[in-house]
Amino acid sequence: MTLPAWMRSRWVVVPGLIAVATVAWNVHVAANATGVIEGRVVDAQGRPVAGATVTLFNRSFITNDPRQRTLTDADGYFRFENNDSHAVQLEAERADRGRSERRTVRLWFRAQEHRLAAPLVLTAR
Amino acid sequence: MAAAAGWYGRKRTRELALIVCFLAPSLAIFLLYRLIPLGWNVVLSFQSWSPMRPARWVGLEHYEEMFLWDEVFWQALWNTLVWIGAAPVAIALALGIALLVNSDLRGAPVYRTIVFLSYPLMTVAVGIIWRWMYDERGGFFNWVLRSAGLIDEPLGFLASFDMALPAVIVTDIWQVIGFYMIVLLTGLQSIPQHLYEAARIDGAPAWARFLRITLPMLRPSLFLCAVIGLLNSFTSFDLVYIMTNGGPGHATELLITYIYKAGFGQTRFDYAAAITVVQFALLLFLTVLANWAAGGNAGAVERD
Amino acid sequence: MRRHFPWARHAVLILVSAAMLLPFYWVLKTAITDENIYAYPPRLTPLDPHLFNFVDVWYLIPFPRYLLNSAIVSALAVAGNVVLNALAGYALTRHFPAKRLVLLLLLSCMLIPFQATIIPAYLISARLGVLNTHLGLALPLLSTIVCIFIYKAAFEAVPKSLIDAARIDGLSEWRIIATVLLPLSKPAIATNVILAFIWSWNSFMWPLIITRDAEMQTLPLGLARFLSYLEDTTGALYAFVVMVLLPGILVFLMAQKEFIRGLTSGATKG
Repeated sequence: MTLPAWMRSRWVVVPGLIAVATVAWNVHVAANATGVIEGRVVDAQGRPVAGATVTLFNRSFITNDPRQRTLTDADGYFRFENNDSHAVQLEAERADRGRSERRTVRLWFRAQEHRLAAPLVLTAR
Repeated sequence: MAAAAGWYGRKRTRELALIVCFLAPSLAIFLLYRLIPLGWNVVLSFQSWSPMRPARWVGLEHYEEMFLWDEVFWQALWNTLVWIGAAPVAIALALGIALLVNSDLRGAPVYRTIVFLSYPLMTVAVGIIWRWMYDERGGFFNWVLRSAGLIDEPLGFLASFDMALPAVIVTDIWQVIGFYMIVLLTGLQSIPQHLYEAARIDGAPAWARFLRITLPMLRPSLFLCAVIGLLNSFTSFDLVYIMTNGGPGHATELLITYIYKAGFGQTRFDYAAAITVVQFALLLFLTVLANWAAGGNAGAVERD
Repeated sequence: MRRHFPWARHAVLILVSAAMLLPFYWVLKTAITDENIYAYPPRLTPLDPHLFNFVDVWYLIPFPRYLLNSAIVSALAVAGNVVLNALAGYALTRHFPAKRLVLLLLLSCMLIPFQATIIPAYLISARLGVLNTHLGLALPLLSTIVCIFIYKAAFEAVPKSLIDAARIDGLSEWRIIATVLLPLSKPAIATNVILAFIWSWNSFMWPLIITRDAEMQTLPLGLARFLSYLEDTTGALYAFVVMVLLPGILVFLMAQKEFIRGLTSGATKG
């Protein structure tokens, strides 16, 4: 099958490819922009920590502002549902077990659904 | 017009009306944004006026202030002349590159594209790129000079009174050299090859062929390059604004950045108009001079 | 002499090319670097390269807004150029009284750099009430004299017999332009599109003068604004630079031939 000449012109092919890529990307974004961020909190020995406070920071220009807090469940899992940022930081703390390092999570687009690969580890200080 | 052409009949009149309609939009734009502003500049330069006050004729007052009292104007004028004076250097470099690229050398189109690539880029972005190249800590030049042990302390190229203007001019040359090259290349390609063959048969050495054939035949292209270089002193506003904004002090102030500052920074539209008139007169004078040097056959110019 | 030293010439040209490309590399490596970009000595290759700086630029500043403004202005300029220049170019292929005057007018306008007209141009735009609007941004860019002459040359190259035949068939002037002349002048149209796009996309001084709100700013203004109030230590500014340059580079590489023809059309005729 041969395409007509005007369809093979670079003036059609390049903008066409760009348009297709844009649409595909937007469909992908729409399907994955749920604002959910999930993860797990464990202690230094790797045991899940229940009832730890997890704070979500949003990146603005040069500062990171705390936006949401949640508590981990019995298995150490936590879940944020309304994240609308593209660059967040997560930090977990429980008064008697210590605090985790602040983990930066950079997303490809706003409110991207994300599951932390490695849990946040609390260390006593 | 229509009345004069009346006896051609209705058809001729309609044709004329059509031509007028076709020409009108373009001409209106050039009138509004080229010719009328030029005249208005001249009128404004003899008036005292600002948006809130009625205009008053003041004769040569602005010119008097400019020439007798305004040191910044003289500095800007001098910088503009230096800027224009750097154009022949860039043109000579471009001629060298064009001579190397203009041949049956393999890969010549690739070199040509690379050299030309910087010209169509947004000047604002080019300015930011080169600010970064000159940066004291993360910049390329300081890194090279310090690694080579030539300097101990980082140099603030754009913050130095002596180096800021040359630094910005180097950036400008980097951006426009591709354009000069393309213009000269077009000129080189229009030189008939048989001239060179005849000279070779006569035993003329390479430098003689260059001086006697290439240079004279390139005259129109060289003239065009010179005019582009002249206009460049006007169009370089973006680069200076981004890289130094005329500073440090007024070390990189060009007339065009000074016009902008006087007009839109201090709201002295009348004074800015007077500077514009001076710069335009300078441009016109130098163009006529270049045209005379090129033998009087002016090429057309097309950069806006 | 020319044919004898290809290697020496390659060496020189490779050096020149390296000098031309180096700034691009320097900015690109900064744009994808994660470290503090002000650390000394700078790294030659980026550490942990990633693209998140580009995401930051998209969201932290109103990049989509700037992009939209730039796109609207460029679209207006390209459309204006293609249509108005074609009409004017066609008119100039015909004979009419005062044609020489019009030609003289156009040629002398060519010598007036736009930058030399900014003060009155601003005042005129204020009277027309187009300050701070897309139309005002595009208005001075709507027609270009070089492009009129490129069209004129292209139209004059079309055989007269074709036009006469069309006229005998009873086609109107509009139809003649649209169905006979324009399809035969595709290179001229391409040159027009490319020049109008590059010039309007890069235009900085005019938008700087006539826009007031951040809402109306175009990409170059956004870039200048970003530069003036954000001296951060990430490569976000340079990611912004790369994002702004890409469309221009893409268009240039696609249409290098047409672009060069447009710029040198004066040189060959001169």
